[in-house]
Amino acid sequence: MDTEEKEDIKLNWQWEISPAKSWFKMGLIDLYAYRGLILRFVRRDLIASYQQTIIGPIWIFLQPLFTTLIYLIVFGNFAKVSTDDTPKILFYMSGTIIWTFFFDNISGTMYTFITNAHIFNKVYFPRLVVPVSNIITQSVRLSIQLVLFIIIFLYYYIFFDKFQLSISLLLIPFLILLTATFALGSGLLIAVFTARYRDIDTFFQYILRLGMFITPVVFPSTIVPQKYQFLFWLNPLTPIIETFRSVFFHQNAIQYNYLLIATAEAIILLILGLILFKRREVEVMDII
Amino acid sequence: MNMNNVILKAENISKYYKLGVIGTRSFKEDLQGFWKKAFRISGNEKINPNNTNNSSNELWALKDISFEIMQGDVVGFVGKNGAGKSTLLKILSRITLPTTGTIKGMGRIASLLEVGTGFHAELTGRENIFLNGQILGMHKKEILLKFDEIVAFSGIERFLDTPVKRYSSGMYVRLAFAIAAHLDPEILIVDEVLAVGDSDFQKKCLGKMKQVSAEEGKTVLFVSHNSQALKNLCNKAIHLEKGRLIEFGSTQDIITNYLKNEQDQPLKKVYDDPDEAPGNSNIRIKKLEVIPKYVDNSKIIDIRTPLTIQFEFWYLPSENIDLGVSMSLNTVMGDCIFDVDSIAQPFQKGLVKGQCTIPGNLLNNGSYTISLIFIRNTSSAIFELEECLSFDVEDFRENTAWYGDWPGAIRPKFKVLLEQEDL
Repeated sequence: MDTEEKEDIKLNWQWEISPAKSWFKMGLIDLYAYRGLILRFVRRDLIASYQQTIIGPIWIFLQPLFTTLIYLIVFGNFAKVSTDDTPKILFYMSGTIIWTFFFDNISGTMYTFITNAHIFNKVYFPRLVVPVSNIITQSVRLSIQLVLFIIIFLYYYIFFDKFQLSISLLLIPFLILLTATFALGSGLLIAVFTARYRDIDTFFQYILRLGMFITPVVFPSTIVPQKYQFLFWLNPLTPIIETFRSVFFHQNAIQYNYLLIATAEAIILLILGLILFKRREVEVMDII
Repeated sequence: MNMNNVILKAENISKYYKLGVIGTRSFKEDLQGFWKKAFRISGNEKINPNNTNNSSNELWALKDISFEIMQGDVVGFVGKNGAGKSTLLKILSRITLPTTGTIKGMGRIASLLEVGTGFHAELTGRENIFLNGQILGMHKKEILLKFDEIVAFSGIERFLDTPVKRYSSGMYVRLAFAIAAHLDPEILIVDEVLAVGDSDFQKKCLGKMKQVSAEEGKTVLFVSHNSQALKNLCNKAIHLEKGRLIEFGSTQDIITNYLKNEQDQPLKKVYDDPDEAPGNSNIRIKKLEVIPKYVDNSKIIDIRTPLTIQFEFWYLPSENIDLGVSMSLNTVMGDCIFDVDSIAQPFQKGLVKGQCTIPGNLLNNGSYTISLIFIRNTSSAIFELEECLSFDVEDFRENTAWYGDWPGAIRPKFKVLLEQEDL
């Protein structure tokens, strides 16, 4: 026994496969080693989604534009929902691009195992590579959409002398990061459970669809009755979208306390998600 | 690193699977399991490979597998379907975790359980080389460096910028294998991928694998049903059966023992009681037997082995007839390879014996069955005994670097002669 152990030390194994798992691994270091693969997946998804289309990446612009127009007609003109005195097009667009970013991130993440089972069954790489690359892909789309948003914003700024530019615009990257954190964390948690019981996936699809109505996408949070305000603001997306609007339009003061709560919620979800995902990523392959 | 170094060491690997449908019931079990775990109700009900009271919905795909692999070894894994080969490869590739045991290793490990993993149909051949290469663990720089080599190996230069969905299946596989062949890990795991592609390309791939192991000192773990390829490529082999390691040693011995095991089907059938024997009022079978005349002491029926078919039957004629017997040899697919008969002649009531020798170097490798027909007056059958004996004929080759399937219904041994006519 002793000699065997000595031999092992001398041989200096570089890796080990064993059933033992640690509760404290999040797999972030592995992720750095696989950065090339992450970027490759981003490239694949961006190229592949506009193959054999006529206008190609222009769709990235058109999707939020159409959604905004429909909201403008339905909620702005028919239902006459308040937009807190901000130009309707900018109000709806700000809501829709952030909501879509969140939605695409979380739905991309929660189906990680199901949509990639064929690859996961044949080759190993940290499974986290897939949701992370999805987040980056969606961030590229979001950036392009933000450019469109900013163009329209500048149009109002220059020709109608509306709004003013303020230092709080620097919060934008933080808001995007926060949205991504929230989506990734909850998506990872759902992914681990959907692999075993598909009902959970149906359930969350339903919740996600309803989610738009407890998030100020097509209405301002000011129309929510006072007694529900606290609950409403506990949804991390509420302070995110409201802060985003405040930064550009200044119609309401930024609610830093709720932003702080949202940050805490997102970080806790992400840590839980990463740990559980790392712990279960290989085992899941036996049951999928 | 020099040779004679252990590069991979597996200790007590077991893998447990719970069978059955995941649904309401398993959810209930999960809850119960969680409950027990949380409150430690019943003692140590730990999953243990030595605990053999297997209920029907449990399966030990692997039990207590240990082995060491040296650097530069090319190790073949043999075993029937369900022996645990794929599970072991999956554990080595980190796709699934062992239930118990550890594997320690050194160097980069790449697995090729399929060619073209992660290919995206909409992307061009060029994009897919990078995509697949990186999925398999290559770095972008490495791919750039080997790019021209990969393209040349695949032979699809002209279609490099065409989406792979427009490729023929042959082109697709060639591109996929070309990428795989240029992987450069210390340990390469290959699973049956040789079953794809045309024969020319197969040869190229096997050649490449041999070169990788021989010249570059890489370690290859290789699963294939093609015993010829295993014999030619591997210096060591591991025989698995029902999840257990039966034998680990030199390829020649392992393959021989494995094939002997495979050929374990009864070559002899004896019926002592005429009333229970197959037959009818005229014929009752007493004995059926295949007697191989082994050419070496391996005790394996291969294409060189002459086979004598012997049969005995009780003959109970109700009238005076000329009796003849015809024997046919069929493949398992039901194709008749040949049908030979005896001279028809009268026999007395009693025991009759017959035999027929199939010479060596006639049959191709494969699984065969023997059928006998008893004929009255060379015109009508009085009894047919279909597929009464079966046996496998293994391949045997010398002086050839071709490991693919040898074509043809038969494999006679006469040569094509070549002669230099003029200088």
